[in-house]
Amino acid sequence: MPVKVLPAVSKAQNGVGAFVLQCKRLEFNYCDAAGSSRGMKCSDRLFLKHCLPQFAKQNPAIEMHVAPRPSKHPIIRGVYINGREKVICVRNLEHNQVLKKAELLRNSSGLQLRKLRNPVQSINDSVRGIFSPFHGPKHAL
Amino acid sequence: MTLKRLRPLLRLRPVAPPSQRLLIRSVATTTSISTEPPVRTTPPPCRTPSLSAKLPALHSRLSLHPAYPIETLARALVHSSADADHRFNNHTLATLGDSLLQYLVSEHILTKFPRLPTAIHQAAIDAYAGHEALDHLGRNTWGIEVAYAPVAEVDAGLLQLKRLPPGEAPGLTPDSGVTVEYAMASAVRAIIGGIYLHEGGLPAVRQFTRLHILSRKLDVEKMFLIKKPTLELSRLCAREGFESPVARLHAETGRLSSHAVFVVGVYSGKNLLGEGHGGSLQEARTRAAVNALKAWYLYSPLEKDLPSKTLEDPKVEFKPAFIDAGEVII
Repeated sequence: MPVKVLPAVSKAQNGVGAFVLQCKRLEFNYCDAAGSSRGMKCSDRLFLKHCLPQFAKQNPAIEMHVAPRPSKHPIIRGVYINGREKVICVRNLEHNQVLKKAELLRNSSGLQLRKLRNPVQSINDSVRGIFSPFHGPKHAL
Repeated sequence: MTLKRLRPLLRLRPVAPPSQRLLIRSVATTTSISTEPPVRTTPPPCRTPSLSAKLPALHSRLSLHPAYPIETLARALVHSSADADHRFNNHTLATLGDSLLQYLVSEHILTKFPRLPTAIHQAAIDAYAGHEALDHLGRNTWGIEVAYAPVAEVDAGLLQLKRLPPGEAPGLTPDSGVTVEYAMASAVRAIIGGIYLHEGGLPAVRQFTRLHILSRKLDVEKMFLIKKPTLELSRLCAREGFESPVARLHAETGRLSSHAVFVVGVYSGKNLLGEGHGGSLQEARTRAAVNALKAWYLYSPLEKDLPSKTLEDPKVEFKPAFIDAGEVII
């Protein structure tokens, strides 16, 4: 048979078709005794008590973990589908600032931050094709 | 082949040694779906999906319908190597999901590229719905995690399987263990089978397949490896009644230099079939023939109607798909 196959695997394009949120787990750690966890837990406007239930309800695709981390600063750890983790220390932050950090982790794709030199990144071939000097009207000097 | 001719072959088949014969018998007992549950050698995997936080998260991540129960999702994550009991593993769901997936993907490719050679058509189906593609989907897009071992305390939201020991080839039955890739693909198929059962049959599966599987990027153009393009093109032209193809030089530069470039077009009569460039006349001609063949095989009708829509509503207006004579045989 003349035509042979070069096997290939289709590539994911998240957002073309279905969109899957890349943050799969958020872990909230706090300390009962330390003052840096005040906004997270100990003040009268507790993040864990008042903000987190609503935040979890708004983001059902994310698994929420709450665990003590004694004698340490409070942190939020985001775990992503690509296998990476992002950790933000939320020491001495108020509950609304903690919420901002949690939203930051939720919205992240989990990729390492990098400078995008080209404004357009695509896995599709160029529609116009590669420039060819052999085609088009001839250039008169 | 008649039975008479088959008989010598049957007689020639070597008789398995007693140890293997025992193995074959045990295989036969575990694969058949019997009413009695098979004898269990390992403790059953987790059967308390309500305790898992991962399952509702996965349910929501895939935007499954509320009618899709968490219990079915948990069952879809138990591979038959982790639990041989067919009432609790995903074997039946995966079989259902696989049939639906193969049908919908093959229908999509067949209506999109009706002239695709059979081998490429099969490879394109595998590229969307094969083990490797579904493993990528489950692991890298849906974020399904894998349990280290299928023990009773494990989280029901993890994929449960008995891992294949390193260096061993996968056996015919899942008893000896399976690769994570294979188990992940079966879980993805089982989830799709569950959609068919709980979300209202084929329309929901079509929608889900369109969103999650057919939306993936595949360059069918890059799957061709044409061994004798010029010969195949001339055979194609002869079959279709076109004039035999002729290669003509479109442009050239630096013929006598070390970096010559030639642009060659392949013509059938006055029609340009394909164009290619290369460092020599031969290379440019071959590329032109390859491009001409790809242009033929990758023809895509402007209006595509999927036959599966008539399964949902038999009275719906349907334009039959284009059927091609098939690839060129050399």
